[in-house]
Amino acid sequence: MNVRVKRREFLNLLAAFGGTGAALNAGAALNLLPAASHAQTLDLRSPDPSKKQVVILGGGLSGLTVAYELTKRGYDCTVLEASHRCGGRVLTVRHGDLIDEIGNPQYCSFDDEPHMYFNAGAARIPSSHKNILGYCKELGVDLEVFINENKSAYVQDDKMLSGNRIRNIEFTTNMRGFMAELMAKALTHEELNQPFSDAEAEALLSSIRAFGDLKENDLYEGSFRAGYKSGGFLKHGVQKDMIAFRDLLKSRLGRQLLSANEGDTGPILMQPVGGMDKIISGFLNHVGERVKYRAIVNSVEVLDSGVKIVYDHDGARQSFDADYCFNCIPTHLMVGITNNFPDDYKKAMKYVRRGDAYKAAFQAKSRFWEDQEIYGGISWSNSPSRQIWYPSHGIHKSKGIVLAAYDYGGGIYHTQMSQSDRIEAHLSDAEKIHPDFRHNVENPITVAWHRMNHMLGCSARWQRSFSTGWTHDEEKLYETLRAPVNNRHFFIGDQISMHSAWQESAVMSAQWALTKLDAYVRQELA
Amino acid sequence: MPNLISRAVKKRLGKPALLITFALASAVCVSAPNEPVNDRYCKTCHGSDGRGNEAIQAPILAGMEDWYLIRQLKNYRGKVRGFHPSDERGIAMQAMANNLSDESIRDIVGWIKTWEYTPPDATVNGDKAEGKKLYASCAACHREDASGNEAIGAPPLAYQNDWYLVKQLENFSNGYRGTHESDIFGQQMVAMVKQLKDDTGIRNVVSYIISLRSD
Repeated sequence: MNVRVKRREFLNLLAAFGGTGAALNAGAALNLLPAASHAQTLDLRSPDPSKKQVVILGGGLSGLTVAYELTKRGYDCTVLEASHRCGGRVLTVRHGDLIDEIGNPQYCSFDDEPHMYFNAGAARIPSSHKNILGYCKELGVDLEVFINENKSAYVQDDKMLSGNRIRNIEFTTNMRGFMAELMAKALTHEELNQPFSDAEAEALLSSIRAFGDLKENDLYEGSFRAGYKSGGFLKHGVQKDMIAFRDLLKSRLGRQLLSANEGDTGPILMQPVGGMDKIISGFLNHVGERVKYRAIVNSVEVLDSGVKIVYDHDGARQSFDADYCFNCIPTHLMVGITNNFPDDYKKAMKYVRRGDAYKAAFQAKSRFWEDQEIYGGISWSNSPSRQIWYPSHGIHKSKGIVLAAYDYGGGIYHTQMSQSDRIEAHLSDAEKIHPDFRHNVENPITVAWHRMNHMLGCSARWQRSFSTGWTHDEEKLYETLRAPVNNRHFFIGDQISMHSAWQESAVMSAQWALTKLDAYVRQELA
Repeated sequence: MPNLISRAVKKRLGKPALLITFALASAVCVSAPNEPVNDRYCKTCHGSDGRGNEAIQAPILAGMEDWYLIRQLKNYRGKVRGFHPSDERGIAMQAMANNLSDESIRDIVGWIKTWEYTPPDATVNGDKAEGKKLYASCAACHREDASGNEAIGAPPLAYQNDWYLVKQLENFSNGYRGTHESDIFGQQMVAMVKQLKDDTGIRNVVSYIISLRSD
């Protein structure tokens, strides 16, 4: 090797080859990563009594955050929610619930028991998302640990090992072993040692050996970490056969499997006991009487003195004059709602794409996965259904709700199918991982966010290119949209964040808008 | 901030907008519901009083003729329209219309009649003079002023979203629409659209059509 590898470059190299965890640990030690921030404390001033009417468009998480905070401060809030329920994409599906998909309404016929639910939208709360966790604490929402990565769950790819499933731990142990062998060989190269002191090089090499469970000669020859073929308790364990690197490389799933515990899913993940919408219930305990359901906004007119809303409710066209308006209606729907926003806002609203994430779930007649040593977590597949989620809750109960599809990037594929075709697709995909799946499940539910009434999309997509990140123009459009209109109208929601699809983003967007309102109110009162 | 809305909203229909009702229109589904469903989904995609939504690519419905709306809803229901894999918006509409009863279609179209028409913004910048020449062959069916002709099944065009007209002409041109054996009118459009030659021709003729609007 002729090129010297600098410290930073080596860390990048390590991360690029899948050892992101190693890079993160090393990076934190070098103080390269920021410390997690604390939950925001809002110090909002009480309103001028003559200017305290607030209308909130949409009872999603950001809208309810605003309603809760401003009601606390003495504002008079009204929430106009177009659908029959609050929560938006915080949707927990239980017995009797309506899934209001346009053209394909479904009623959930899961057993009526507390653990028989699935979270069709938001499903995980990382411990680093302090603002949503702060509200859970404040609102008395009980949390439990959500199991995300499960090394006992399966990996299945039609291109790998004749399509036979293997355990996640077999895939990752072998993959890490081979990668560590490559890294160790590269690191022991004399010239590569030069940017490191002997002690540093030795520390790194020993980490690499541990990362891949290498033998003395820096070769990977299989590992007990992949589990035992037999024995292990009363008799010596017999190591499983090594899977050839070349076989593993036939699957592209390594990209996800080796980063399942990184980024937002790196910290411990949690879920509310009983369903994600317990957070919504927590807010509604305080502001529930302020919500008008099935109130469909017809126009939003920002005036110098406030905001005029025209909406349809109870069979009548009604009008509401508010001093301030907070709006979490998806921007792609706002484009079709009569408004007088400035042209640059309209341009930005049209720019944002709507996400097409898709989930489907079945009621399982028995928790068959627990008989296969799987308690919670995710099996991965290269099939269009992509993932099977086993519930972290209700362990050892007789039944459970198993998620049989989560397509977070290309959900249109299933969205465009009929309900019966969707179900058949998930059954046949799941059979590759659990051969008896079809006979073990019933009462399917599909949630195609692209077609959900009053939402028509999952999380907002600002970026046209995920590989190159945000362009300057996109950042400009984003700054436009989140700037208050006339200090009277504020767009909110995870759509008005640079990290959509997380509840934390919805909450932080609401808090950011509230601080803008507060600054204006203080200035007016001064 | 100026009051833009009242200026922008123009009634095209003769009668004032009626109060909408939320009476249930032939609920589609099934077992023991806690929440009722109705078929009046239109505004979610098509916007306030069916004014159209470019972000969803859902066109104006307000002010459109009953006979045309009914024909298209039935075409969607029967997969005469919205069947081609590349017609993503048509497929979404097909799924919506799939379960509609005749009664429900009548109810929806009656509801649409109560909406006020809002003129859309122009978004297509074609050459109107060139478009006028191309429109000569369209006028035979859609009339000189693009007001349509029910007697021969040709819908009005001038008050539609220009981006939607472009998309539909492209759909006819690409075989995404008008190729079903039952779609007699669509088949005529597939033949006629060839005269527009290319995308430029489509943009030119649409720009001319929109210029015929008198709002």
